[in-house]
Amino acid sequence: MNAGLVWVLVGLGFAVVTLQRRSLAVGLVTVQALVLAAVAFADARGPHDLLAAVALVVRGLGLAAFFLLVIARTRDPRLVRAIVPPLRRVALAIALALMLGWLIPSIGLVSRDAERGVLTLVACGLVLAATSRATVFQVLGVVLVENGLALAALELPGTSWLIEVGVAVDLTLVAVVAGVFHERIFTEFGAGDTDALRSLRD
Amino acid sequence: MTDPETLAAATVVVPALVAALVWVLPRTWVTRTALVGALATGGLAAALTAVALTGDRPLAGPWLVIDVPGGLLVGIIGAVGLVSVLVSPAYLGAAAGALVDPRRRERTYYSALLVFWSALLAVPLAGTLGAAWLLVEATTAASALLVGFSGRATALEAGWKYLVLTSLGLGVALLGIVLLAAGTPEGGLGALSWQVLPTYAGGARSALVVYVLLLAGLAAKIGWAPVHNWLPDAHSEAPAPVSALLSAALLPAVLLVAWRCEQGLEPVIGVGPARDVLLVFGLLSVAVSVPFMLRPMAWKRLLAYSSLEHMGVVAIGLGFATPLALAGVAVHLVAHAVAKTLGFCLVTPLLAHAPEAARSPVSGIARSSPVLGGAMGLSLGSLAGLPPSPLFVSELLIVAGGFQAGRVVTATAAAVLLALAFSCLVRALLELTLGEAPARTGPVSGSASASGSVSGSVSGSASGSALPGLRGVGVLVAASLVLLLALAGAASWLPASDLVDTLMKGIA
Repeated sequence: MNAGLVWVLVGLGFAVVTLQRRSLAVGLVTVQALVLAAVAFADARGPHDLLAAVALVVRGLGLAAFFLLVIARTRDPRLVRAIVPPLRRVALAIALALMLGWLIPSIGLVSRDAERGVLTLVACGLVLAATSRATVFQVLGVVLVENGLALAALELPGTSWLIEVGVAVDLTLVAVVAGVFHERIFTEFGAGDTDALRSLRD
Repeated sequence: MTDPETLAAATVVVPALVAALVWVLPRTWVTRTALVGALATGGLAAALTAVALTGDRPLAGPWLVIDVPGGLLVGIIGAVGLVSVLVSPAYLGAAAGALVDPRRRERTYYSALLVFWSALLAVPLAGTLGAAWLLVEATTAASALLVGFSGRATALEAGWKYLVLTSLGLGVALLGIVLLAAGTPEGGLGALSWQVLPTYAGGARSALVVYVLLLAGLAAKIGWAPVHNWLPDAHSEAPAPVSALLSAALLPAVLLVAWRCEQGLEPVIGVGPARDVLLVFGLLSVAVSVPFMLRPMAWKRLLAYSSLEHMGVVAIGLGFATPLALAGVAVHLVAHAVAKTLGFCLVTPLLAHAPEAARSPVSGIARSSPVLGGAMGLSLGSLAGLPPSPLFVSELLIVAGGFQAGRVVTATAAAVLLALAFSCLVRALLELTLGEAPARTGPVSGSASASGSVSGSVSGSASGSALPGLRGVGVLVAASLVLLLALAGAASWLPASDLVDTLMKGIA
């Protein structure tokens, strides 16, 4: 994958970290998955690689449709603000990405840019999940991490189709269960806001 | 396919098929079908365990591995799963509310429970790290639904926390897997098979990074400190039969995956650093559990913190990795499963007897209900490691294993922490059984939710014999007592047995 595309994916990741509108964030995460799928199709050398590319497309579009449906059914009466302001979240993601880059000097992928891109996307996902209050954004954090790992799998020297297909299946399962929880949390508390989930403490 | 392979496939496929059947059959058939399917699965798991424990050498293919540790875990998961399904009708009869449409309550519960059980049974049999990761992630989806099954606000909180934290943790583990695949000469599926891990060519430092990422990610699922936050909430809010499966089966199954990673990467990283990581997680988990267990807390929450302690003890045993320590680990896993399953199965009669037990610590149960108090005492006394509990013997073996390994400081620290944990649980045991009993007039009839919101009238005798779910649990109490005593006896000859010799060799 060329460096430009890698940094497009990273740019989309940072954009998701700054957003507060759920539907927009779902759109950007989907674009990210489709860019990955396009690269997978372009680099495909056999039926297994094609299967991995198809899995990326189905996963990306399927999750987008599912998340948009969930959002449409649970319109928040007010914007659920994140725990940390957007710019500070970006700073946190950059700091975590640099730390991961220092801890993991080489992943062994085909390109060095892809290695940096993978770690940055994982950092963006972790920061998004940790600093968001909105339930949908926390799940999008998991999706961002998985998109980063999908990039890594595409850039592996050997066959990576099993990782791509496996991630697609598992991510879909987790997202569906998260959707069920989100709807119940919305019904129970009137908003998809994890701030309401603070009663279990020791 | 050879016979063990067919047996392994059947053990995993039968509960999945029964889950699908339960989903489509008429409502009146749901419970009976689930119970019959559970009996069949339990039988298959027992047969597979016998094959794995008596086999000459491990059967390791590209997809499947049948070895002694895997067989032991399949036996534990099979037995705990069977008990969980068998006591579920009592839970569903007593509890109110559900995450899903009430008309689909029972079929959703049994389907999710059987899918969860099926995925769990497959984890110890997975022939590659990739497949094991996929199966562990699959258990997350099914079990998160079950954790939040009651639909209460606290259950939603626990289920959500469990889903997000363990998914992120498994994402970190997947990063480790990708790194591993990049540094292993054999590409594709073969790169992630357990036997190929020692051929990792990325160098010792890179292997250590991979290993730490894998263990840190899996730790979130095992419930090791400091990434254990979901564990007390999920175990205390899930339906009691599910809590038993989470605590006694899921945590050890994921721990086996972590141990297989340690065994596979140890030749590259070096024995010292690989085992040190396990010891750090183990000591930290026991240390973190102690201050929580010191405080009076609700029964299920106390059992949850004891899970944190016991997974720490197992990690310490695996970190020492001497014949004594591994014998201790084997005994510990089985005895913990027996005592913990019994403890969680007593929740339904306990809530009927003392509804406040759902949220608050209870005392003097043995005074107001000798049968229930005695059963709870057996569970907690065993978990505390009160002699002659097999957990006392296993902890002794693990600490002795530490001295055998020459890790005097670590073994001493482990002994001190275990003594502290023991005193916390014995204190809780005394308070629970012999403490001052508030006035209770007998079992509560009607609908009791797991949260303790019980509607109905107080009636019947105070002996506890009429408590819902207790009569069925009586068989379990007797079986647990026999098993625990047998385990305590078996623990003395285990260190010199072939079983431990096989554990020392691993798959490779």
